[in-house]
Amino acid sequence: MSALPGTAAATSAALRSFEAAWRARPADPLAAMRAQSMHRFLALGLPTARDESWRYTNLRTIAARSFVDAPRIGAGAAAPATAAQSWLAGPGMAVIRIVNGYPEIGDAADRPDAPFAVRSLGSILAHDPGFLAARMAPVEDLDEGRWALLNRALFVDGLYLRITGRVAAPMLIVHAANSTGENFAIHSRLIVEAAPGAEATIIEHHLGPAAHPVLANQATQIDLEAGAAIEHFRVFSGDDRTAHFDALDLRQAANSRCRQFTIVLGGALVRADLRVRLGATGATHESYALLVGHDARHVDCVNTIVHAASRTHSTQTARAIGAGTSRVVFNSKVIVDRGTVGAQSRQSCRSLLLSPTAEVDTRPQLEIHADDVQCAHGATTGRLDPDMLFYLLSRGIERPAAQSLLIYAFLDDVLTGISSAPARRAIEDALIAQLPDADLLRTFR
Amino acid sequence: MSGSSVLTIAKLCASVAGKSILKGVDLEVRAGEVHAIMGPNGSGKSTLAQVLAGREDYQVTGGSVEFDGADLLALRPEERARAGFFLGFQYPVEIPGVNNAYLLKAALNAKRKAAGLQEVDAYEFLALIKTKMQFMQMDESFLTRGVNEGFSGGEKKRNEILQMLVLEPRLSVLDETDSGLDIDALKVVANGVNSVRGADRAIVLITHYQRLLDYITPDRVHVFAGGRIQKSGDRSLALEVEERGYDWLREDRVA
Repeated sequence: MSALPGTAAATSAALRSFEAAWRARPADPLAAMRAQSMHRFLALGLPTARDESWRYTNLRTIAARSFVDAPRIGAGAAAPATAAQSWLAGPGMAVIRIVNGYPEIGDAADRPDAPFAVRSLGSILAHDPGFLAARMAPVEDLDEGRWALLNRALFVDGLYLRITGRVAAPMLIVHAANSTGENFAIHSRLIVEAAPGAEATIIEHHLGPAAHPVLANQATQIDLEAGAAIEHFRVFSGDDRTAHFDALDLRQAANSRCRQFTIVLGGALVRADLRVRLGATGATHESYALLVGHDARHVDCVNTIVHAASRTHSTQTARAIGAGTSRVVFNSKVIVDRGTVGAQSRQSCRSLLLSPTAEVDTRPQLEIHADDVQCAHGATTGRLDPDMLFYLLSRGIERPAAQSLLIYAFLDDVLTGISSAPARRAIEDALIAQLPDADLLRTFR
Repeated sequence: MSGSSVLTIAKLCASVAGKSILKGVDLEVRAGEVHAIMGPNGSGKSTLAQVLAGREDYQVTGGSVEFDGADLLALRPEERARAGFFLGFQYPVEIPGVNNAYLLKAALNAKRKAAGLQEVDAYEFLALIKTKMQFMQMDESFLTRGVNEGFSGGEKKRNEILQMLVLEPRLSVLDETDSGLDIDALKVVANGVNSVRGADRAIVLITHYQRLLDYITPDRVHVFAGGRIQKSGDRSLALEVEERGYDWLREDRVA
C-alpha cells in the first residue's frame, strides 16, 4: 500500500501498531468508512497534553507500546482463569458476555416474546452491512472523539441491542479480557436502540484481564426514541493492568428519560467520555459519576451535555475520591443551543482528597447560547470534615471506621440514585471493599 | 451525696492556636451529682467541654483530668466515649448520608464491646430505640434520616439527649443543650436529663441561663469566668447570677 495522503508518518509505536492492524484486516463492507476514520486518526495522532480535553491525561506510556488485536477465543475454550464472573450478576438478568470484544450471545438470543433483540455486530457486518452502516453514528472531530475514530476503523465485532418493550430485570453485559499474550488491544462496539416507550436497565461491567495488560477501546452509542426510559451503567472494576478508553454517545428523542451511571472502582487508566444530545422537547437526562482514585489509578471523565431542544432537562452528580497517588479528573460541560427555550441543567460535583499525594481536578463549564434557561453548577473539593469526624469519634466510633463512614456518606447522593436494589448492593459491596474497616461498613445499610 | 469521684479536674490549662483559654480549672464531680457550670459568653465553658471530649484543636498546657481514677487526657476521643464519657454538643454536627439509627447502634455496640458485653442485635436495638424516642417525643422518621440532617435546633438537641439515653454514660457533659429551645422542648430535654440521673452517674450542665435549672435541680453550681471557676455554691448561686448578672463576680475577683 502507498503512504497515506496528507498524513505524517505514524510517530509512535502504538500508532504504527494500530496502522498495521488496520492494514492487515481483510476488506469488509465498511472499508471506506474505516479508511476515512483511520486516516483522520493517524493525521491527528494520539492525544497529547496539548489537546484541551487530554491535558490531565498523559498517554506517553501507551504511545510507547505496540498493540496487537486481541484474538477471538474459540467456542468451547476454557473460560479465562480469573475475573470471568461479574459480581453484578443477579437473578432473572439476561447476561451477555463479550470476551476480547467478541460477544457470546447464547441464551440471550432472540426469543419471539422477548422485549429485546440481540445480535452480534460481526454477524450483521457479514449479512446485513447496510443495516450497520446506517447506524454508525458520526464521530465529531473533537479531541474527545480520538479513540472513537480508532474504534470505527478497527472494531470487528460487538453487540447490537434493540429494546422493544419493558425489560423487567437489568440486562448485564460483561466485558472480559482473555489476555493470553502481551499488549492486546480490544476495539469493541455496542449499539443500543430503545424503541418508543421501551424501558430497561443496562449494566455494562468491565472486568480486568486474566493475565497480561490490555488496552480496551470501547465505543457505545445509545439511541432513546420518543418516550423511552433507560438506566445505563458502566462499571469499571478491573485491576491495575487495564487501560480503558470508553466513549459513550447518547442521543435522546422527545420525552425520553435516561439515567446514566459511570462507576470507576478499578483499572490503571480509565478515560470515560459521555456525550449526550437532548435532541427533542421533554428529553431528560441524569448522569451520575462515582470515581474512586485508589493507589496509582488515573481516572479522567469528560461529560458533554448538549441541550439542542426546548424544555430539556439535565442533571449531573459527580463524586470523586482521590486516595493514594491517584489522579481523578472530572470535566463537565453543558451546552444550551441557540433558539431553545426552557432548558434546565444542574451540575453538582464534589471531590474528596484522602491523601496528600492524590490529585483531583474538576471543571464544570456552561456554554449558553439561549436566554430562557436555568442552569446551576457547583464544585467543591475538600478533605474529610474534621467536625464530622470528631462527632463520630466522640460517639465511640473507631477512627478508620469513622473515616470510612464519612467517605461512604460522601458518595450517598450517587448510591441512592441507583434504582435497582441488587445492583446498588453489589456496587456498594465492591466499593466498601476498597475502604478501610470494610467489616464495620458492611453492617451500615 | 457521697459517691465516688467520677471527674477530678486539677489546675487544667489549655490553649487554642497559641491563645490561652483555660487558666487553671479545678472541679470535682462525684457519682450521683449534677453540676451546673454557668458563665458569660467567651469565658471558656465550651472549651472545657471540648477539651474533656478530646478535641485535637485544643492543646492542654497544664493540669490533669481524672475520669474514674484514670487519666482522661491520655485517651483518644473514641476511647473516652467507650469508657463512658459523653459530650452533648452545643452545635450538633449534620452528617448527611450517615443514618441516625446506624450511628446510634454503632455507638452503643462500640461501648458494649469495650465493656466486654455482647453487641445488641437489630431487633433488640429497635425495641430500645423506639422506647427512648417516645420518651423524647421524637418521630420515628428520625431513625432513617441522616445524622442531624435538616433538623431544627430543637430537634438536634433532642437527638443529643436521645443518644445520651441510649448510651447511658457514666459522665455526661451537656454543652448549652438548653440554648435555642422553646419551653416545651426545654421540658422534654430536662425530662431526658433527669431520667438518667442516678447514684452511679454524673452530669455536668454547661449553660448560660438559669432557666434550665428550673427543671433540672443541680447539686452544685459553678460560675466560670476568665478561664476558670470563680465561685461555687448550691442552687441559690444560680438564682443570684440570674438576678445580678455576671459583672458582680468580676468585681468580687478584683476585690
